[in-house]
Amino acid sequence: MGNRIVTFSLNNPKRVMWFVAIMVVILAAMFPRIHVDTDPENMLPTDQSDRVVHNTLKKQFSLHDMIVVGVVNDTHADGIYNHNSLAAIHQLSSAIEQIDGVIREDLRSLATADNVTQEGAGTIRFEWMMNQAPKTQQAVSRIKEAVNHLPMLQNTLVSGDGKAAGIYVPIVEKDQSYRIAEQIREIITSLDSDDQFHITGLPIAEDTFGVEMFKQMAISAPLAGLVIFIMLWIFFRNLSLIIAPMLMAMAVVISTMGLLIGMGYTVHIMSSMIPIFLMPIAVVDSVHLLSEFADRYKPGKSPKQVVTEVMEHLFTPMLFTSVTSSIGFASLALTPIPPVQVFGIYTALGIALAFVLTVTFIPAYIALLSEKKLATLGSRLHEQESHGLLAKALPHVGDFSIHHARIILPLVIILFSVSVYGISKIQINDNPVYWFDEQHEIQVADRALNSHFAGTYNAFLVLTHESAESVIPTKQIEQWIQRAKKRGVDLTADWAAIQKRIETEQENPLEALNYELQVQLFNAEIDSLDYWQELADMVGTAITDRKYFQKPDALHYIESLQQALDESGYVGKSSAITDLVKTVYRELLGGDQQNYRIPTTSNAVAQTILSFQGSHRPQDLWHMVTPSYHSAAIWLQLNSGDNIDMTKVIQFVERYVEQNPLPDNVRMDWGGLTYINVVWQDEMVTGMVGSLIGAFLAVGLIMILLFRSVTFGLLAMIPLTVTITLIYGVIGFIGKDYDMPVAILSSLTLGLSVDFAIHFLERTRSLYKETGDWLEALKQMYQEPARAISRNAIVIAIGFTPLLLAPLTPYQTVGIFLAAIMAISCVVTFVALPAVIRLIHPWLK
Amino acid sequence: MNIKHTVIQRFNRVISRALLAVCTISLGMNAGAEDLDDVDQIVQKANLAAFYSGVDGRAETRMQIVDEQGRKQTRQFTILRRDHRDGGDQQYLVFFSYPADIRGTLFLVEKHPGNDDDRWLYLPGLDLVKRIAAGDKRTSFVGSDFFYEDVSGRGITEDHHHLVSTSDQFYVVQNRPKDSINVEFSEYTVWIDKQTFMPMKTEYTDNSGKIYRRVEALQVQIIQGFPTATRMKVSNLRTGGYTLNEMRFIHYDMGIPADLFSERSLRNPPRQWLKRPKPAN
Repeated sequence: MGNRIVTFSLNNPKRVMWFVAIMVVILAAMFPRIHVDTDPENMLPTDQSDRVVHNTLKKQFSLHDMIVVGVVNDTHADGIYNHNSLAAIHQLSSAIEQIDGVIREDLRSLATADNVTQEGAGTIRFEWMMNQAPKTQQAVSRIKEAVNHLPMLQNTLVSGDGKAAGIYVPIVEKDQSYRIAEQIREIITSLDSDDQFHITGLPIAEDTFGVEMFKQMAISAPLAGLVIFIMLWIFFRNLSLIIAPMLMAMAVVISTMGLLIGMGYTVHIMSSMIPIFLMPIAVVDSVHLLSEFADRYKPGKSPKQVVTEVMEHLFTPMLFTSVTSSIGFASLALTPIPPVQVFGIYTALGIALAFVLTVTFIPAYIALLSEKKLATLGSRLHEQESHGLLAKALPHVGDFSIHHARIILPLVIILFSVSVYGISKIQINDNPVYWFDEQHEIQVADRALNSHFAGTYNAFLVLTHESAESVIPTKQIEQWIQRAKKRGVDLTADWAAIQKRIETEQENPLEALNYELQVQLFNAEIDSLDYWQELADMVGTAITDRKYFQKPDALHYIESLQQALDESGYVGKSSAITDLVKTVYRELLGGDQQNYRIPTTSNAVAQTILSFQGSHRPQDLWHMVTPSYHSAAIWLQLNSGDNIDMTKVIQFVERYVEQNPLPDNVRMDWGGLTYINVVWQDEMVTGMVGSLIGAFLAVGLIMILLFRSVTFGLLAMIPLTVTITLIYGVIGFIGKDYDMPVAILSSLTLGLSVDFAIHFLERTRSLYKETGDWLEALKQMYQEPARAISRNAIVIAIGFTPLLLAPLTPYQTVGIFLAAIMAISCVVTFVALPAVIRLIHPWLK
Repeated sequence: MNIKHTVIQRFNRVISRALLAVCTISLGMNAGAEDLDDVDQIVQKANLAAFYSGVDGRAETRMQIVDEQGRKQTRQFTILRRDHRDGGDQQYLVFFSYPADIRGTLFLVEKHPGNDDDRWLYLPGLDLVKRIAAGDKRTSFVGSDFFYEDVSGRGITEDHHHLVSTSDQFYVVQNRPKDSINVEFSEYTVWIDKQTFMPMKTEYTDNSGKIYRRVEALQVQIIQGFPTATRMKVSNLRTGGYTLNEMRFIHYDMGIPADLFSERSLRNPPRQWLKRPKPAN
């Protein structure tokens, strides 16, 4: 089968070329349809329960994703409390308000805040905190005093140390945050200010990543291609020949990405990495092919004949390495994370395509080369053969491994055990801000603002009271009708009419009844008015009773939870309806700190809130409690977006609720981007472990099938097992967080490190058939076959060093680990495999 | 007998509605008067028509606050008003009857056009009388989309007025604030009915040139000869939320005594004036 394909390609090279060209053109035509998706929220399926809850809460409390703009003044004695800084804040805040996509009503800064103060005895004053830049020192001091007096503003709008001020910019959609941030930067440059300005917040990190991701795709991937090209040149010294794998790699990358886009998938952070993963894997097979071809080709020989020979014994190992690599990636489809599934499946498809092109496109390409162009190939390579570094070193490696098998094996086992211990120390953590370089302005802003403020990361803890008491009190209404009848007022007909109007209302009949009663009351005739009023009062009281988060007891629960959170040190600050009620209540009672508490009755709470609703920003209330008062949200500001820190908060709350059970019928939910990040990370880690184990078993099975031998199958798994363990062991020891890119690398390791073993064992076995002696076979193995394997390892390892220059850390991680994977699996293959074979060869067949 | 009574009442209601319709039509046909071109005169007349009908007045109001998600909140209150002088100082007493948890809350306002108003608040749940000072009058009225200024009127000397156009139906007046720091708009345009001088629509423009807020008189009825906006709507065009204000049982020139509008009334609400008066027939 393999032979026929190769023969066909050799005989119809032009047709093959045309076919590939047309495929690439068609799929490349899909590129303009590209739709980028940088939203980590999409790491979860849209119907994932936490995500659904998160979005419901966002809607319920009119919460939006936020950009945080920070103004820092380290030089002035009073920090930002000086004319210039405040003027800049005012100017900046009013300019940001006007940007498209900014939710003006909810923008929070000193310039849009309302102030509640005492004005003489018995008078409370509501006014804008700073509706113009203060002109006198007195006005500046007044603002400072006011902020320090209002717990809702302190450490949110101005940092506790007074050195930084924040502008919280809610935006319509996360994917507009990069554009909005750019506009904000433009405004900042036009400001006449010596202060430092920073822009941060998760939406910015995420959206900026998307933008930079494209720059990376455009710079790093081609640069990696170039380096691979140079490496190939050094090994083969034949331009026409090495263009083939380069062209093929490009064809694979373009076709795969084109297919992905054409199928309507978004290019997510994950899938943006496909080109970088495909590039080395696509080149690997052709390096084997070209190595052998160069070795065997002598001027005068027919290139077609040589290709056919080479293919004869390379086809099977190449097919199997491709299958195993594909399986490694395809196993990602088992994780419950859509972008990871897409990444895995399309990378697997790309690998399959790379194999097909290796056995069709490359032979066709060679068939089209003139003998003249091939002429230089042999001589140079053969020259290198005897003098090259690889040629000199490799046989020594082989000798060493074979002769020191009894030392090597225990060493490998020790290394393996130590690595297992390292894995146990792995810390699972991620934070989109870390996807940027330490010097990147996003990380700089993140550090600067979170060192001053309560925190720029948001999470929401929502308590909901589920009450079943919304039934209409029919019995009481019967009595009420009877009472009226006795005094000569007949309400039966009117009541029947109301009943009819509300009978369809299933969800909240009491609320519907209330509405009808208000209408009735509004139009009632004078003689029945008192009766309707009585009923309306009865229903009204029932509804008020259901305003759960207006009750002092409910508020006290929230207050205690907040207090525990604030004292835990895990959160920078918590804000809730309680803070609002306590502040307004204190001001109503004269401003004394001793009155900073929750009023004792529900009505007092309601009236305190009503007083607040006479301010400039009554809408702030509905971010803390729903209009029905059935749900209340606690806004947590965290000064770290590390999943590990968010997890601590979650665990703390869980423990707290265990010790202080939620009130009856009260449910607790989490929301906020910082929380969502933890959710998808957890899903990803568990998912990855599943895929890894699945793929490992699948690859093991295939190895056994390939070699038609359990022993050889298991042997082939040795380098792979040692490499994965070692890589993750090192991650555990050096304290590198197990994050998204690291998780994905497990599949890459699986796919690539088995390749060397397949080639090594396959060739050793065929050499054994020729020689009938395992040790002799091993010795010969360290000639040409070992060189091909090492060339591959070197090409890929060095080929990806340009990734280290990327400003995005996931790319850096991939670069470093690719090199490490190549080096380690190559070394393990060369050192451990012969040692094992040496020890067990009497029993090998 | 009860049934008979209701029938008569219903009949009366039908008749009064018919009469009202006739009145409205006849007013509409009364379009003979010449157009005014003095913008100050137009604004003055509009101010009087909207806020100074009769010497005093009483109305029951239901306010429905609807947010951008369609969630509704209702507030009900009775307003008593007394003028010192047409176009000048006024007194207001606002008594809340619904929802139950704020029942008995009272506002007392001494309106001084062109100056800070004096405002008092009584909160029964705290048994507290509080004087409220505000930097401006553009704060929310009890959490609704109405501002204090929409309820009691904006001083006509606070803006520069400009008559933009005169159509068959409306005088269109554009207004720019003299003090732009204490208002959130950069200008607003009012459509004033040429016959009744009722402001029928007001649109507010922000500093980015967008119309973000609209106040509309959805229904105007003639009550005791005074055109009265009985249904009003304020829309927040940024969020899509709005507040609907409906007024019923409106009476003018009732002879409400001046001393009723005092701090004393806050703790002892004037029951007889808050109670719905018997129909005149």
